[in-house]
Amino acid sequence: MSSVTLSNVRRIYDGKPVVNEVSLTAPEAQVLALLGASGSGKSTLLRLIAGLESVDGGEIRLGDEIASTPKRTLPAEARRVGMVFQDYSLFPHLSAAANVAFGLEHLPRAEREAQALSWLDRIGLHARAHAFPHELSGGEQQRVALARALAPKPRAVLLDEPFSGLDPVLREELRQVTMDALAETRTTALFVTHDAEEALLVADRLAILKNGRLLQEAAPRDAYDKPASIDAAAALGPINTAEGRVENGAVATPFGAISARHLIEGAQARVAVRAEAVRLAPGRQARVIDVRPHGAHDLVRIEADGVVWRALAPARTVLGERVDVGLQPAGAFAFSAAG
Amino acid sequence: MSGRAGSRLNVDAVALFAAAATLICAAPALAVIGFALAPGEGARFGGPLLTNGALGTLGLTLAGGTGAIVLGAASAWLVSLCRFPGRGAFEWLLVIPLAAPSYVLAYAYSGLTWAGGPIAFPVRGFWGAAFIYAIGLYPYVYLAARAAFASQSACALEAARTLGAKPGALFFRVGLPLARPGLVAGGALALMEIAADYGAAQHFGLTTLSTAIFRAWYAHQSAHGALQIAAVLLIAALVFLVAERRARGRAGFADGGARWRTLPRYTLSPLAAAGAFVFCAGLIVLGAALPLGWLAYIAVEHTYAADITKAFFNSISLAGAGALATLVLAALIAVSARRGGAMGKFSLFAAGMGYAAPGAVLALGAFSMFGLMREFGWIGGVGVSLALVTLIWAYAARFTAAGAQPIDAGLARLSKGLDASARTLGAGPARRLWQVDLPIAAPSLAAALLILFVDILKELPATLIIRPFNFDTLAVIAYQYASDEQLELAAAPSLLIFAAGLAPILLLTRSIARGRAGSR
Repeated sequence: MSSVTLSNVRRIYDGKPVVNEVSLTAPEAQVLALLGASGSGKSTLLRLIAGLESVDGGEIRLGDEIASTPKRTLPAEARRVGMVFQDYSLFPHLSAAANVAFGLEHLPRAEREAQALSWLDRIGLHARAHAFPHELSGGEQQRVALARALAPKPRAVLLDEPFSGLDPVLREELRQVTMDALAETRTTALFVTHDAEEALLVADRLAILKNGRLLQEAAPRDAYDKPASIDAAAALGPINTAEGRVENGAVATPFGAISARHLIEGAQARVAVRAEAVRLAPGRQARVIDVRPHGAHDLVRIEADGVVWRALAPARTVLGERVDVGLQPAGAFAFSAAG
Repeated sequence: MSGRAGSRLNVDAVALFAAAATLICAAPALAVIGFALAPGEGARFGGPLLTNGALGTLGLTLAGGTGAIVLGAASAWLVSLCRFPGRGAFEWLLVIPLAAPSYVLAYAYSGLTWAGGPIAFPVRGFWGAAFIYAIGLYPYVYLAARAAFASQSACALEAARTLGAKPGALFFRVGLPLARPGLVAGGALALMEIAADYGAAQHFGLTTLSTAIFRAWYAHQSAHGALQIAAVLLIAALVFLVAERRARGRAGFADGGARWRTLPRYTLSPLAAAGAFVFCAGLIVLGAALPLGWLAYIAVEHTYAADITKAFFNSISLAGAGALATLVLAALIAVSARRGGAMGKFSLFAAGMGYAAPGAVLALGAFSMFGLMREFGWIGGVGVSLALVTLIWAYAARFTAAGAQPIDAGLARLSKGLDASARTLGAGPARRLWQVDLPIAAPSLAAALLILFVDILKELPATLIIRPFNFDTLAVIAYQYASDEQLELAAAPSLLIFAAGLAPILLLTRSIARGRAGSR
């Protein structure tokens, strides 16, 4: 196991930076989630770490070894960094067992086969050892891809949206299998996803990316509670935003004031309020204009003075009703509009 | 995208081999141009042989090409968009005439319709040849047009139908314009085949550029004159190839791997359905069943008349060796093209030039090239083996593109993630080639080998020019018997060539049938 450290990494396509001055560390034996929308550069970041592409600036280190600089790229085949691809990319001409054994070339045949079978056993696919990829279900393919990546005991494993395209039940189950396997083998993992909930759920560390830049790197709880910017806050769930001047250490919004003591009095500020921090109670302040069931909660749209905000309300809210709005300080953030 | 260290060496090695393969493919064509430009005795450039040949080739490509395009487009339209009895079977049966080389069809029709034949309407002369080309080569257009009708145009066709377009209007206003890239591509293949044909034109006594090369070479004993005519034909083919690529633009020529969408079809009135049936059945009867049946009948009747065993084994071994050699070049070029880079793309184009060049042209190039090498003393001897090497070289120059195409298509189906997976699992370039690329590409390599084997087996003009003395192949003896007006003796070798040609056609139709089964 090694930590993975990126320092000021840049990658340029056609003159445009797709990864721009990204510095972050995946600590040894921990799971780092890279969260971002498509085009945020998160998949490119994985390919750079895998050595499938070269960096145009900065460096990547695996443990103490410098793996990528603009001048030198340690080839992917020499890095011992495993990767689970979004489409799994199983070798179609090899059985499940042979796929898992592919990375164990250095071992004698008997040992190789024994290890491949033990891996299939571990992920619950012992009975499917001789099946070919096209005979496996999507979930089974994903597990084989995971076992194939972990079997050679890589220094780190990279997972590129490994659960996308699976149904929610299977997704949940596979997430558990994957996290257990990572924890058991104490493998450093970098895990790309565009699903905020999933990122919060699986990560020891969370890195939020947008347009090739790192917005924030923090523990999931800290990222949620102390977002570094409006964009970082938006990445972890629906938010409401407003702008205003800091007066008496607070910024006024149509739905209530938000504390901004860390900002200069009189400065222009932008605020973000998480939908789940907007509390509704029967009253007069705002009108409910839309109610959508959202699991245990309702996603409610409220309107006051022509401004519409969203709230995740636990109680059943009635359309057209008038409500009073309370903003929970823990989910309300003020940022300087200048920065 | 490969790492900048470590793998550079291997990338360059592949590019280097591809460059060598390209040079091998391009050498005979370059030699033709070079020798034609060199000062020498012989037929004056622009002599009557050249003028008449050019006129003949032009006329035949126009007449035969038009016929092939009309027949191909119409039949593709019928099976793609209309419902009539037998449509499902016609869909793949219509490809079968592709199995017979033009000269085999010419021999069969001569026997059928000339002196003593059962049909009184003689197929001969200019229009006879045009008929042979149209009926034998329309499947090129049919395949391309059908792919166009079945794939990208489906939505536009459906939209036009919801707007009330009747079948006729739909064909001319929507279908034809949409299928144009396919018609251009398929028509271009047919035209190139016509320009390259030697056997049928010669049999009908026509002067084309291809037959003029032979006449200059054998009758006038003028190598330089033959080379000059060959250069004209080569340059015309290249200009045509480039023009065709431009016209086709980005619309690719659909290959057999595409999936066909089942279109909602027009139900034809009984009379129209009968007409469609007769039209499609007629194409198959005239292009395959009738000539094949006659050849089979005559061959059985004259079983012991001609000994074709030796020619058979010569054909098999020559085509086998030629196909293997060409496959190696084709695989190198396809792999290099797949890995990206200018070299690979250029190799693919250079190989395409060889495919556009008629066999007689490349044969002259290869022949002259080896002749020069011998003059300089670089190589010794004359013998059988040297001639065979020259011949295989000419085959490789002509057919590498035909082999590279299916390999390229097979490699294109590989997920890019597979290579990346193998790399992250520690596999170096050699192991990736042997354990990932080649096993997965094996079916397309096998298909390429089959296509090459049959193409070489059918090849006539280059074989005629270069073959060692007394080394006869099936194509050669069919040609010789036909030239001697002994058509009954030409039947058996012609039939064998026809049968061999069916193999890759069946492979193609199988992929059509599979594509249809998988369609929704």
